[in-house]
Amino acid sequence: MKKLQQLLPWIVLVLGIVYAGQKIARPDKIDSKFDLNSFRQIPVSASGRTKPLDTVARNSLMNISGRQSIRTDDGKVSAIEWYIELITNPEESVQREVFRIDHPDVLALIGLDKEKRTRFSFSELLDSGNEINRQAMLASQVKAKARDPFQNAVLVLNQRMMLYSELSQLVNPYLVPPLTTGEDWRSFVTVLNESPNDPDARALLGMLQAYRAGDVEEFNSQLAAFKALVDSQITYDARKSRYEVIFNQAQPFIMASALLVVAFLFGCFGLLLAQLTKPEWSKSMFGSMTASIVVALVVMTIGIASRVYLQGRPPITNLYSSAVFIGWFSVIIGLIIDRQMKIGLGGIMASVIGFGTLIVAHNLGSSGDTMEMMQAVLDSNFWLATHVVVVTIGYSATFFGGFLAIAYVLLGVFTKVLDRERGKSMIKMIYGVICFATVTSFVGTVLGGIWADQSWGRFWGWDAKENGAALIVLWNLLILHARWGGMIRDRGLVNLSIFGNIITAWSWFGTNMLGVGLHSYGFTNSAVFWISIFVLSQLVLMSIGMLPVKIWRSKFAKPAVQPATK
Amino acid sequence: MIRKLLKPWASLRLTVVLFALSIILIFAGTLAQVHEGIWTVVDKYFRSVVVSIDLQIFAPQDVVKIPGSIWFPGGLTLGVLMFINLIAAHAVRFKLRKKRIGIILTHLGVILLLVGEFVTGIAAKEGNMTIREGETVNFVEDIRSTEIAVIDQSDPVDDLVVIVPEHFIETGETISHGLMPFTIKVTEWMPNSQMLGPMQAPESRKGIADTGIAKDLAAMPLERANGVDGSTVDAPSAYVTLFHGEQRIGSYLLSVYIDQAQMVVVDGRAYWIELRFARTYKPYSLHLMDFKHDLFTGTQMARNFSSDVRLVDEGRNVDREVHIYMNHPLRHAGETFYQASFLRDDSGTVLQVVQNPGWMIPYISCTVVTLGMLLHFGIRLVPTLGRRSK
Repeated sequence: MKKLQQLLPWIVLVLGIVYAGQKIARPDKIDSKFDLNSFRQIPVSASGRTKPLDTVARNSLMNISGRQSIRTDDGKVSAIEWYIELITNPEESVQREVFRIDHPDVLALIGLDKEKRTRFSFSELLDSGNEINRQAMLASQVKAKARDPFQNAVLVLNQRMMLYSELSQLVNPYLVPPLTTGEDWRSFVTVLNESPNDPDARALLGMLQAYRAGDVEEFNSQLAAFKALVDSQITYDARKSRYEVIFNQAQPFIMASALLVVAFLFGCFGLLLAQLTKPEWSKSMFGSMTASIVVALVVMTIGIASRVYLQGRPPITNLYSSAVFIGWFSVIIGLIIDRQMKIGLGGIMASVIGFGTLIVAHNLGSSGDTMEMMQAVLDSNFWLATHVVVVTIGYSATFFGGFLAIAYVLLGVFTKVLDRERGKSMIKMIYGVICFATVTSFVGTVLGGIWADQSWGRFWGWDAKENGAALIVLWNLLILHARWGGMIRDRGLVNLSIFGNIITAWSWFGTNMLGVGLHSYGFTNSAVFWISIFVLSQLVLMSIGMLPVKIWRSKFAKPAVQPATK
Repeated sequence: MIRKLLKPWASLRLTVVLFALSIILIFAGTLAQVHEGIWTVVDKYFRSVVVSIDLQIFAPQDVVKIPGSIWFPGGLTLGVLMFINLIAAHAVRFKLRKKRIGIILTHLGVILLLVGEFVTGIAAKEGNMTIREGETVNFVEDIRSTEIAVIDQSDPVDDLVVIVPEHFIETGETISHGLMPFTIKVTEWMPNSQMLGPMQAPESRKGIADTGIAKDLAAMPLERANGVDGSTVDAPSAYVTLFHGEQRIGSYLLSVYIDQAQMVVVDGRAYWIELRFARTYKPYSLHLMDFKHDLFTGTQMARNFSSDVRLVDEGRNVDREVHIYMNHPLRHAGETFYQASFLRDDSGTVLQVVQNPGWMIPYISCTVVTLGMLLHFGIRLVPTLGRRSK
């Protein structure tokens, strides 16, 4: 029996590695006689980036329907199958229910408000096409921040219909590669009009016609010929294209989220068993939790490294990647703390923050390519790259300190886990994390200033994002100085750290929302809604933290009075 | 004696209060940017002694109306107090010991940072140089203020130019000057505006101007650019009526949108008038040979901008060609020229020209602070962690 307790963490580790490994090393193949596995690797150019068709198909379907595949009564249709059907057999494809529409007034506009579905086909929308277009034109004349939810919804729908049309008419993405290095990518339609005998275009046309006719052999041989042509023509690395398809297929961040949920469950069991005074099993559960987190961390690291490789850019390029990075770094801090303090808290924190930020990232990335190109000014600068990485680490650390503080409050008020020793060691942890957060957020902010000075000669411009970063630095400094001055003790430190979460959330997201929604934030914008919920929850936690120590379930021998750590 | 005087200023409690006040000020100053121009906010909140904060900025107008405002210490006050607090703390409380070296360095850096922002606040000048391809320009424009220029070109060598600065235009009073052949009555001043063509203008805005090349156009006032929508530059316009003595010459529409001066005839002689961004003439000139603007394939997103210019400064014996592009500015004569923007159809470049004698200070102070913090937390934190892991 004892053996099992000791072995369990190792079993979890091996299972995790096998699970993750087989997903990455042996990606799902598409089950089709047509060689779609190779078709989806064809490099194309969309939104300024060369990428495999698979990415375009997935991102477009994600944008239109909110999913990366279509669920039908006969099973799943993958994005690439949907795409090739769209361009070779539009008559069939327009019947697919892919357009996600939620807003009741938009549904009423199209006359579909009686339906119980949330996804509709292009042919269902077509009759109301002119009306949708007219409404979108009206809405587009209103300033972005003054639009109401209906106007936003109708604009989104119109944009999706335009994307759909561009895809089906082969205008977007650019399928025809440059013949020489000096030339640019061109759309299939343009090439067929301008030079009908272009070999690439002929090969593509033959391929698509063969697919439409259901001629497997012809399709596969045309495809092989086309790929050979493309490979010989462009300097683009074909390996990258293959790699990106594997990356798309493996979805490392979703895999990591799943692993973190498993870790969280192990952690909860561990805490429960500790309460039931079964230390052996509790330890075993914590060990299994750590094992799952380690696998999740490896998977996330591979994911981030893959993005760096595919983009040839530093790991943080947009809000999406900042969320992923914060999750990744929080998991690392969590693991370190887990090693220091063996009551499972670091791991539970790691899984909660890691999972939370990956969910945030998933929602941020749902509108299109998360590896979009960047404006020239944001491109290739050492200071910018180091700035975003360091400042994001600062954000992660501030969040982590805040979440540790929440754990302190919850455990202290509702459980008996926190004895004097543990309470003290948690306080030290929180203090240490805040010191670290102060240094990194300060250095990160400063690096941003240096970049700004190099780019437009203004070290500090008082703009919203800069101010957000400054607020985090100042808040951390306030906590530290208040502690040094003996103005706050343990619980003060804890409550101020929880408030740090609000400041960080505001700096990270709130400042981005100022432009779009301050006027219309009557709980219409879902991000604003979630931020408000978050702020409220933190305030509730702070008020719990302020309950008199008498009614805390954890009894500290004495409310640990520490002399100012000056 | 001095110690006694300084003591109350050295308190950590004051430090914490100042941090808290700064946090509130910065938060308010960020929210205020939704309604007011970023530069207005910087002057009003961050470089002021006191600021009156409208409570309305904390909630959207269409949800709740909050009247009133509160007085709050401005950035200058808080900065100076922090400065005094720091100096006093070191004079009274801190002793120079090895263990303290990190903190002392950090605080020294912070002092420098405050000084740097102060120097920038009073001494830094920012302007723009807009150059069309093939043109040579020897002045810098301040896009945050405008001027009316009245130009007499009758001298074949030098133009005689009378400049009316913005603060005279704003008042709406009649403007006259001995060298100006006419008086100017500003009938409407628009700090930010849009220009509408004859077909777009609403009836109420038609025919306000009756003379000049812009008489068929109409200007409409806009809210000032506020930094959060992305538009950061105000484009002012003004309707003015010109008088020669008692005699009315005509009403003109002047605007920074109109990039040529308009002719005014007085007693058979031609003068020119225009509203333009305030100019500062320089001893050097830049000639734009070529402007390049590359896009990412199939998008409108810029991949790169660059300007090939010829810099001529006779006083310094400089005559050379320079390639200015993103993140690679030109530094000359204490000024730095950044690739900032471009004209429509890529017909020219806009360079940001910055003169900041204090530009090095943040670099030095940040290095010092970072070093100090690493030393401090390094000295203090490492032993604690080590102890715990045993």
